[in-house]
Amino acid sequence: MTEPQPTYDLMRELSLIDPTTARLWVDEFDELYLRIDDGEPRGPLTVQRAFPISMADEFLSLKDSSGGEIAVIRRLDRFDSHSRAAIQSQLEWAYFASTITAIHSIEIAYHVPHWDVETDRGRRVFELHSSRRDIRVLPGGRVLVRDADGNLYEIPDVRRLDVASHAFVEDYI
Amino acid sequence: MIQQQTPPRGILPIDVDEDQDLLEDLPASVQQRLQALLRTNESIELAVASDIRADGRFGPTWLVSTSLRILSIDAEVADGDAAPAQLLLTDVLAVELRDFHGSGALHVRTADRGLTLARFSRSLMPKFNRVPRRLEQLVREMQPGRSDEDRIARGVADVAGARRRCDRCGRVIPRRFGLCPACLETRKLLVRLLSYAKPYWGLGVLSLSLMVINTTISLSPVLFMASLLDDVLVPTEEGTSLRPLLADLEAYEKLVVLVVTLLVIYVSSNLMGAVRRYVLAWLGQHVTLDLRNEVYRHLNTLSLSFYDERETGRVMASITQDVGRLQDFISDGLQEIIRDVLTIVFICIVLFWLDASLAALVLLPTPLLVFTTLRFGGKLHFTYRSLWRRWAGISALLADTIPGVRVVKAFSQEAREIGKFEVRSGELLDGELRAAKLQSLFSPIMAFITRIGTLVIWLVGGARVLEGELSLGFFTVFTGYMWQFYGPVEGLCRLNHRFQRAATSAERVFETLDSQPDVRDIPDAPPMPRLVGRVEFDDVTFAYDDKPVLRHIDLVVEPGEMIGLAGHSGAGKSTLINLICRFYDVGEGAIRIDGRDVRDVELKSLRNQIGVVLQDPFLFNGTVGDNIAYGKPGASLDEIVAAARAAHAHDFLMNLPHGYDTVVGERGTRLSGGERQRVSIARAILRDPRILILDEATSSVDTETEVKIQEALERLIRGRTTFAIAHRLSTLRHANRLLILDKGAIAEIGTHDELLEADGVYARLCRMQSELMKRKAW
Repeated sequence: MTEPQPTYDLMRELSLIDPTTARLWVDEFDELYLRIDDGEPRGPLTVQRAFPISMADEFLSLKDSSGGEIAVIRRLDRFDSHSRAAIQSQLEWAYFASTITAIHSIEIAYHVPHWDVETDRGRRVFELHSSRRDIRVLPGGRVLVRDADGNLYEIPDVRRLDVASHAFVEDYI
Repeated sequence: MIQQQTPPRGILPIDVDEDQDLLEDLPASVQQRLQALLRTNESIELAVASDIRADGRFGPTWLVSTSLRILSIDAEVADGDAAPAQLLLTDVLAVELRDFHGSGALHVRTADRGLTLARFSRSLMPKFNRVPRRLEQLVREMQPGRSDEDRIARGVADVAGARRRCDRCGRVIPRRFGLCPACLETRKLLVRLLSYAKPYWGLGVLSLSLMVINTTISLSPVLFMASLLDDVLVPTEEGTSLRPLLADLEAYEKLVVLVVTLLVIYVSSNLMGAVRRYVLAWLGQHVTLDLRNEVYRHLNTLSLSFYDERETGRVMASITQDVGRLQDFISDGLQEIIRDVLTIVFICIVLFWLDASLAALVLLPTPLLVFTTLRFGGKLHFTYRSLWRRWAGISALLADTIPGVRVVKAFSQEAREIGKFEVRSGELLDGELRAAKLQSLFSPIMAFITRIGTLVIWLVGGARVLEGELSLGFFTVFTGYMWQFYGPVEGLCRLNHRFQRAATSAERVFETLDSQPDVRDIPDAPPMPRLVGRVEFDDVTFAYDDKPVLRHIDLVVEPGEMIGLAGHSGAGKSTLINLICRFYDVGEGAIRIDGRDVRDVELKSLRNQIGVVLQDPFLFNGTVGDNIAYGKPGASLDEIVAAARAAHAHDFLMNLPHGYDTVVGERGTRLSGGERQRVSIARAILRDPRILILDEATSSVDTETEVKIQEALERLIRGRTTFAIAHRLSTLRHANRLLILDKGAIAEIGTHDELLEADGVYARLCRMQSELMKRKAW
């Protein structure tokens, strides 16, 4: 019996940057730059998550101002603390979302759901287009909500909400 | 509009004078801090509130620009704390609005640093998108030497969100509605549902009167029972009200008369009950028939955008499940409600007539019953709503996976699909159990409350019988009516959940009915006359769901001309032809055919003259012949065969077991891709359209079939204005002109030779394809 022929190694497709030689920083213009070894600094860069919901700190794509991908970060925690902080500060605003800690009320008027919630960033009142499309239920009780203007909210685990809040949201998920 | 901590003016319509709009009223605390900083002659030129502070919490931060500088002031930071961030206008080099996934930011750059002066949620994007332009004006005033070409402000091209709010009231418009529902007339569900019974009002009156008579009759036996006891079996001194009628009769005769009367009453009331039941069922069935047909009729008038936003299974559920629930309610639940209400009213009258003080005791638990019912009602409504959603989710899952069964099997993922279904199924179980829990609690509670009432009556009434105040017959009558009173009350309460379920379904059905088609005829739109075929795009711009797809398309196509459309995937080719068919309306500009705006003519008459051949032709389950004649019902056999021959379909059709009578199966799955394509070409030929649209008509077939289809198409396009999309450029060789789209705009237009000469996008595409052909030849 002969061994099967080796096939193309898919892993060659990944263009990952080496966390030991790459440095990232935010300059005085509030722009993100990358330098590998002693090469030229590259930037300004933007950073995008490949898996914004399931793996926020893995597979981060660095793009130049024309939108072309120049490198991929496999795992953010492998980088030095300065680089990590630089990336985190960019991500925090780019993927700005609030965590809903309690729900004061959910009311429907003229088919428009109004949510009145407490978030980690303070109280917020918003409207949804549709309870079905704008609420995404993920495994483990995690719930993502997008309001009518595109702002993002997250309930990490509905089962951990207080009873009253849970009762409000239960009817919509 | 409710939006926490929005600026005092809220989101204003876009067309308001912009400078005014961007000068909002500053709160006193901010004004104070500003006054301390401002120099004489320094005026406030711009003041807008953001809704996110620098530390990421929600709350207002003010972006203020004076005639000299730009400042960012946090409204809640007290005096004496850190000075506000500021930049002099003379230093500003660039102002940029940054559009992030979850927020926005205003970034200002000078020669030696860059500052983010405002962070805001996406809700304020439309407002802040106008800030850079205003700042640019202010900067230019301070930097007079700066050239006009040197751009300072950078905004965001298209701001999503703004168009999804009602122009009139600023409320969010739900996706499924074309118009703001708050501004539409909203009628109560039940009243609206009953309005469907209007055409049958005669029958409604008949069944109602039957019900009144029936209820009256069915209440009388108790009276006769009393007479039986007090006048015949155990005569008392007072007797009952029936005694004078029976006075001249012997006891046995009295007995027989009363029993026979009771028999007549039972027979007639049950007979009438049967008639009434059938009449009401007939009524209910006809109302639901009308409703069902209306929903389907309405679904057919709705634009493609309605279907783009919904899963097929959910749309189907509104016809199969919701209308079914309403039918159950109208033909069954409604008559029970009416009967129960009538009975309650009748018995109340009788009870008070018999003995007012005891009757008041009977009514005692009623408020408690109503309260409990209302309390449970609200809960049940929500439970049913979420149940509905879970049912619709299962329909959607099935509509998704059953047509995809080939893929499931090819990747042997049956177990995973079963798992997905079982999860949904389990969620449904949870929901059903929640509803069941509520219901099982509900009935015993109601029963218990009514029992309390009867206990009180037995105690008070029984005592009065012992004291000789009441006769046994009278008390029997009273308790008899009392039971008949509690029966319907309990029944009404039990009906509550059915009513809630129906209300949920009615809501969904009316939502569908209230959705307005985006694309519709203007009132009294004239029909499009027989087309010559001149198509004109006048500065056409179109965005799909806030994503710009086509920008400023200008193009005139002469009658009989063939235009080949090419470009990258997503360049807007398909959108262009969707606009010709008026599946969507243009955002800006106009499409004119023979000089008439497509929006000004009757939709049907326009589409009747357009023939479409799609990449994946959709055949309906039926015979091949029926499918060819789909666009021209009543076409003769000669026409069908001629069209099939012209489309090169005749030969393979003749080889099918039943020829033209062969059934193609759901979506035409029993034919191959190329065969389906030729049937769809025959379908288009038979319609004899003046404008022909070929969307990748030959992309999914083998070379030999493609040659045949090409031959068929050559005949088809003769004399018609044709738009053909193709990735394989060789299929466009007959085109008079080629239109190359790039990112929604016209990149190049001209004949094959002209474009090769120009050496642009098309020339490059051609080179790449011939390169590809060489490689394939290996």
